[in-house]
Amino acid sequence: MTPPLLQLIGIKKAFGAVTALNGVNFELRPGEVHALLGGNGAGKSTLIKVITGAHPPDAGTVAVGGYPISRLTPAIARSLGIACIYQQPALFPDLTVTENIGLRLESTSPFRRVRHRERRRLAGSLLRQVGAGFSGETGVHDLSMPQQQLVEIACAIGAGAKILIMDEPTASLTQPEQELLFGVVDNLRRNGSGIIYISHRLEEIFRIADRVTVLRDGESVVTRDLTRTGSAEGTAIGQGFDEADLIHWMVGRNLERTPVAIPPAGAPDRLIVHGLGCEDSGVHNITFTIRAGEIVGLTGLVGAGRTELARILFGLTPADTGEIRLDGIPVTISSPEEAIALGIGYLPEDRRRHGIILDLSVAQNVSMSVHSRIFPRGWLRPNAEQTLAEHYIHRLGIKTAGSGADANTLSGGNQQKVAMARWLATNPRVLILDEPTQGVDVGAKSEIHQHIRRLVDEGLAVLLISSELAEILALSHRIGVMRSGTLTALFDGQPSAAQLMRAALGNLEPGDPPC
Amino acid sequence: MQSFPAPLIRIVSGLRFRHEAGLMLLLAIELIVFGFFGRRFLTADNGVNIIRHSVEIGMLALVMLPVILTGGIDLSVGSLLGLCAVLFGKLWRDVGVDWPMAAVGSVVVGLIGGAMNAFLITRLRLPPLIVTLSTYSLFRGLAEAITQGTDAFTGFPESFLFVGTGAWGGLPAQAGLLLACAVGIAMLIHQTTWGRSIRAIGFSAEGAEYAGLPVRRRVASAYCLAGAIAGLAALTYTARFGTAKADAGTGYELAAITAVVLGGASIFGGRGSVAGTVLGVAVLGVLGNGLTRLPATLSTASEITGIVTGLLLLASLALPRLAAMAGPSGTAGTEKHKRPKST
Repeated sequence: MTPPLLQLIGIKKAFGAVTALNGVNFELRPGEVHALLGGNGAGKSTLIKVITGAHPPDAGTVAVGGYPISRLTPAIARSLGIACIYQQPALFPDLTVTENIGLRLESTSPFRRVRHRERRRLAGSLLRQVGAGFSGETGVHDLSMPQQQLVEIACAIGAGAKILIMDEPTASLTQPEQELLFGVVDNLRRNGSGIIYISHRLEEIFRIADRVTVLRDGESVVTRDLTRTGSAEGTAIGQGFDEADLIHWMVGRNLERTPVAIPPAGAPDRLIVHGLGCEDSGVHNITFTIRAGEIVGLTGLVGAGRTELARILFGLTPADTGEIRLDGIPVTISSPEEAIALGIGYLPEDRRRHGIILDLSVAQNVSMSVHSRIFPRGWLRPNAEQTLAEHYIHRLGIKTAGSGADANTLSGGNQQKVAMARWLATNPRVLILDEPTQGVDVGAKSEIHQHIRRLVDEGLAVLLISSELAEILALSHRIGVMRSGTLTALFDGQPSAAQLMRAALGNLEPGDPPC
Repeated sequence: MQSFPAPLIRIVSGLRFRHEAGLMLLLAIELIVFGFFGRRFLTADNGVNIIRHSVEIGMLALVMLPVILTGGIDLSVGSLLGLCAVLFGKLWRDVGVDWPMAAVGSVVVGLIGGAMNAFLITRLRLPPLIVTLSTYSLFRGLAEAITQGTDAFTGFPESFLFVGTGAWGGLPAQAGLLLACAVGIAMLIHQTTWGRSIRAIGFSAEGAEYAGLPVRRRVASAYCLAGAIAGLAALTYTARFGTAKADAGTGYELAAITAVVLGGASIFGGRGSVAGTVLGVAVLGVLGNGLTRLPATLSTASEITGIVTGLLLLASLALPRLAAMAGPSGTAGTEKHKRPKST
């Protein structure tokens, strides 16, 4: 029996205190499409980076063609025939397809003659192999995203790749384009290549894959075979499992919902959003309400439009349709300044770029959004600023050498608390928290959760955006699910994690509430 | 401040003053060397001379500082000085307004020029380097067009010339203006929310936007201020030479940037101080003057000013980097994160 193309045994990888991979086993055979499934943060991206040599694993073995590779680098991975087709192709937009293929495949020595005829011939033959309907002379900037993906695949084939990783290749494809891509994948499979296929669309897994492995919390939970009925074109069926089982494996069993306080009956509607949309950010027709003292969770896959919705509500990308009411009064929010003046705060997802300014001190970061209140005449008052900062250092338990220490001397969790302190200092009516515990260690995470609970007890309305179902379930009174730029479901009661995952994947069932 | 652990205070204040202290040492060395070798260097007359020559570059450097703190640059201030000088002369001689009114006109023209830069940079979101490179040509070109390249305005009244040539109690008259600018800008930058926002924008414009700071208004105001002060500097320049010509202030924008960077400001924004900038101006002013006073046997005199200035600037940039590389972390990060902090 031929050895597997690729074998991963007990792969572990941690970034600081955050464990990304915790013992992953994975195998790819020649002529097989092996689907890799998992929720956000399950470790798929990290695993790809281990396979392509970008991240050395902390422990475990990577074997290619039966031989363990001790020190995998991106260059070695390429020479072993490992190629990755990313969602966003990395081609030079101003060059033609042929030139791009030439640059990828030809020798990289600085002085050499370019054999244009040879290059055109090679590019033409590769493009035919992937069934591309465009000429090699086309400029890449004239190609659609799926066409660019075909060029990437052509490069991978030209480089003799035997192990192809496809990261959500159909995310931006139309139905006919998908069929074309599946045809290419089938071809590759027949030629004996192995394909690692990552997708959130479960129906695709059944359409294309021979095997499926589910990752959860950095571990490979399960690997199962699919059997193909009839021809390779047909749909496969799982061996003793179906879509519901896949969802179940992705979310795990132990996500029991911890009961949270029901917001007091008759609490007033704080924020009412009706038919909200913004064409530029791809968000449309959003309708929901948050009452005072309520946490509305918002989940969905990466790219579903959650952060885009937050940016609309905070005035960073103002809405062009729909209505926002705050305590019953219609408002327009066209800048963060206006949002803050109205009592809306936004803790952004990217802490280091947006949440705080690393080179300023803790106190300067905390006071940043309340300049007009604590410095009413525009003169800095260091004592007032320090008092304010120390109040929140104490209240949130921020570990710092002092209020004058630069924010970049703090740990990630404490930086996040500084970012929260800034918003608490504005006494907001509505606080939008976007992945508030991302990249934060376990201790700080539970502290941040406690602070959020305490804030809503005081009457704050919170929109909690999180990819982590456990966090959403533990904190939210109600849970909305976004998909493709709109709110597809709003759960009033106590949804199961599987229900949420189904809604996020677009597999709503009759029992699930539509929005 | 009292809540800081003592070692931290020492580290922070050490970093903060190291650059300025280095500049003071440099200035002292200049004074000793030129005092020893130079002819008639350490005289009251020469002191006045140095200050007179440094006032315009000093004022431009002081307003270049906030622009650089936002992470921007303004290459047009020297040309704008020339345009303001010519329009001032035009208003006074050809339109016939009193010189104080014409002086107000000069500042207003400067403000309009700065506002034009601000509009292009903050509303059209064009890069400051390209915008001000364009207006650098444009403003100078307008000044030359107005004077047809040859016309010069002279014969200003004594009361106006006093601004550039007179003295108050041994100090040149325009020194008062420079001092007022320095104090004003220092308070703006170091003691107001305006300065705090400017600095925050320089460190992270996106971060400042997410905090709700009025990023575009603040950046725009920095360019407007630079323009207005260029209009003011046009007056002392004209009064000092007694003529207003289209070539007034040629190259001053680069001298101002040199002084600001020598003064410890980071060209990436965020870091820099008025004290550093003033010392940078002083170091360069003394150097330019002192080199012309060395005896011919020691040097080819002023011709080496460029060499010394270039080497000084390179040294001031390279030394902190070398220190950072030799430091315990051993890593050379971007300049932005390794330069000593001065707030």
